[in-house]
Amino acid sequence: MTRTNGKVPGGPVLSVEDLAVAYKIRGGEIEAVQDVTFDIQRGEAHGIVGESGCGKSTVTWAILNFLGANGYVKRGSIKFLGQELVGRSGEELRRLRGDQIAMVYQDPMQALNPSMRLGDQMKEVLTVHRGLSDKEAEKRCISMLERVYMPDAANVMHRFPHQISGGQQQRVVIAMALLNNPALLIMDEPTTALDVTVEAAVLDLIAELRRDFDTGILFISHNLGVVARVCNKVGVMYAGEMVEVALTEDIYKDPQHPYTQGLIRCVPKLGSDKASSTLYPIRGRVPPPNNRPPGCVYGPRCDYVRDHCREVRPELRTLPNSVQVRCHYAEEIDPSQWQPSEDILPPKIRQNGDQEEYIIQVKDLKKYYEVQGSSLKDVIGMGEPRYVKAVENASFNVPKGKTLGIVGESGCGKSTLIKTIIGLEDSTSGEAQFLGLDITGDLTTRTEQLIQELQMVFQNPDSTMNPSYTVGQQIARPMLRFGTVPKNQVREEVVKLLNLMRLGANYFDRLPRQLSGGEKQRVGIARALASRPDLVLCDEPVSALDVSVQAAVLNLLLEVQAEYGTTMIFIAHDLSVVRFFSDYVAVMYLGQIMEIGPADAIYALPYHPYTEALLSAVPIPDPSAKQKRIRLEGSVPSAISPPSGCRFNTRCPRRHLLPDGGKICETETPPWQEDERGHRIFCHIPRETLLTFEPVIQTKERAV
Amino acid sequence: MLVKDVMTRHPIMVPPEMSAAEAEHIMTENLIRHLPVVGDGKKLVGLVTRQRFALKPDTMASLNVWEITRYLSNLTVQKIMLSAKAGEVYSIDSNRTVEQAARVMTEHKIGCLPVLDDDVVVGILSEIDLLRSLQEMLGLPTRGVRVTMRMPNKKGQFAALTTALSQHNLGIMGIGSFPTPRQPGFYDMVLKIPEVSMEQVREILSQVPEQEIVDIHEE
Repeated sequence: MTRTNGKVPGGPVLSVEDLAVAYKIRGGEIEAVQDVTFDIQRGEAHGIVGESGCGKSTVTWAILNFLGANGYVKRGSIKFLGQELVGRSGEELRRLRGDQIAMVYQDPMQALNPSMRLGDQMKEVLTVHRGLSDKEAEKRCISMLERVYMPDAANVMHRFPHQISGGQQQRVVIAMALLNNPALLIMDEPTTALDVTVEAAVLDLIAELRRDFDTGILFISHNLGVVARVCNKVGVMYAGEMVEVALTEDIYKDPQHPYTQGLIRCVPKLGSDKASSTLYPIRGRVPPPNNRPPGCVYGPRCDYVRDHCREVRPELRTLPNSVQVRCHYAEEIDPSQWQPSEDILPPKIRQNGDQEEYIIQVKDLKKYYEVQGSSLKDVIGMGEPRYVKAVENASFNVPKGKTLGIVGESGCGKSTLIKTIIGLEDSTSGEAQFLGLDITGDLTTRTEQLIQELQMVFQNPDSTMNPSYTVGQQIARPMLRFGTVPKNQVREEVVKLLNLMRLGANYFDRLPRQLSGGEKQRVGIARALASRPDLVLCDEPVSALDVSVQAAVLNLLLEVQAEYGTTMIFIAHDLSVVRFFSDYVAVMYLGQIMEIGPADAIYALPYHPYTEALLSAVPIPDPSAKQKRIRLEGSVPSAISPPSGCRFNTRCPRRHLLPDGGKICETETPPWQEDERGHRIFCHIPRETLLTFEPVIQTKERAV
Repeated sequence: MLVKDVMTRHPIMVPPEMSAAEAEHIMTENLIRHLPVVGDGKKLVGLVTRQRFALKPDTMASLNVWEITRYLSNLTVQKIMLSAKAGEVYSIDSNRTVEQAARVMTEHKIGCLPVLDDDVVVGILSEIDLLRSLQEMLGLPTRGVRVTMRMPNKKGQFAALTTALSQHNLGIMGIGSFPTPRQPGFYDMVLKIPEVSMEQVREILSQVPEQEIVDIHEE
């Protein structure tokens, strides 16, 4: 139904005006959110993006009156379906909101009761709110589960939450939220915990449900690509303020606020690599709410700041193209004229040339885990041993000074592979050589010198640092342990590393809790480099970080690589990041490398059918880009008994291209098809046929 | 076109215990004329319309100034609404057709119908929604030529018309027909044709045998 921009009948579902939320703390209070204004119409999806700590979630909590004991709405109004929510008592609110607002949060496991069957949890919604009979409720729950494309819906009702996959859990949560046909659905990072392929399916679902149920959606995310896919309007929040509100097309094509422009520059575009493009982090960080600068809150990080900005706080004003922006000089700023300032200028990447010297050579590496069966035979040790085949026949070589990226869904064996390389696990069979030394055994079989050459950067910097050691001690420890640096020079060396990490000597005596997430990750990298390793394994080093910090850390890793010529193996689930960062990419599925080769070859034709599906699932922060829509059905099969033949055959969308509907895929292991550049595809479909596929993503500039 | 495609979903609704003054305020502020009253689980209890706020003069006359205040403050939605239980509210199922809904509304001369799925309010259908669907049916939002053809009530007439258009590679984006007033045995058909000039349409359609162009507009 077409509706003009004028007055929509019945008014907006949710209307937030000049909202300010404050938290009472010792010795006063802090305003976490200030002057936030936005409307959500029926059937509209309104996104809110921003770095962590910008007050996105606080806004949703204010709507739900979920601010905790010390939080309250200080000013402004929140109207839901024309009725004021602020200043009402709990009972009144319950009646007002009733079953008309539903929430979906990031972690589905926390929204579901682990000790109740899914069916009982879902039915409760209907029997309590609507007084339906048990039978009737069951019928509706099943039809709603089918609506969210849950395979085998009737059966799922009898299962417990842990018996279904993460993507399916999130579907159950969404189905539950929609059972009462709510007018407003609040989603706080609903897909952040999911794999790209699952995420793509859930996002499709959300867009479809919005159309069908005319539900207003408030969608919170830090991922600009995800927001571009679901929302028609986006608000950008910074330090508790809405700095820009615009239609999705406008905000990606022509961002007005310097912060929005900065955010978009931070994200690597799918298909861009480190040689041809650069990431520009935003310098500085979000100011804490109790210490916001006077004038424009973004002033200290803004490249266009003038004296006027430092003194007068800009108001959210509407530009002629109906974009709302909180900046004094939005009309004068032209992002195409932007020049990076000195302090964020990324390092020059030295091309180390094509050396044929391999630092690590892996051939047919296998890692199996034995699983304990539960039958009597197994208990007395008579049963046949069963294995989780976590890594099967992995073969690759990494030249010195280059980066190998590994991508794949969770559970595909990426982490197991690098754990085997670093020695946290021994391998079951196969060969692995590092600088000619055998590394198939675990740490106990390795010499100290070998351990020193292989270091690792972990995903979560919080849990990898000892909270009671200072930064200096943490970085110095490997140096002392391996004796790479004479004792009297350790401090000097640590400071040198800290400087390289752009942290400075004053960080030496700080404790981890005094650092931000990005700073912690830099310390993690510094510690990995302290023993001067030849090979650094990075397991999702940037996925826990905000986009602006992520850009800074990626630049830093590039700089390190250029400085020391370190070789890296880099795991990430974000395909744009892997493409940007790596020279070579391996795509893994269920323990098997499906495709491996130079990065540009992986992201261009010919693709392995699985790579094709992965690429079509990547959320792209560009609403004008055309993306093929391939969604894999079902979930990843169990690694205990992987499908015979090609492991991907149960979900492959392309196997019908082969004679007999791809019978060969079930019976025979596919061959490796290799071209002259070393790009290998593990598939029965001939390379010539794979070449005839259409590119997955077509943007105005290039096809990927 | 079914009721569920045309209705306004997620209407503003109030509980029966709400004071009449507040309900009035909600209606004024949100520019709406009808307010479904719902109990637990969004089950329909009644309907408040603007007319329901007009108080009977004889009730008022018997009260003095102070009693009026008290009377008004005790007035709840429950007391002024049309009651669903008493059969005073007409409603419709969301899977019925639009024309059925229009018939109920014209028959009883009412301005809105709460839309129900098993007693649960899922939307509201007002005259405005029906008028909007009329616009859309006749293809108003997009520009084009709107032509009214008069044709005898015989088989094959519409086919002749569409064949003539398709031969010239023209499409139809809005369509409606009704019996010609005061001329039994004839039908008038309104078509909206995009991306074409008025002259072109006139030329093509004047060739269709037995039919005549009654009216032609560009809008």
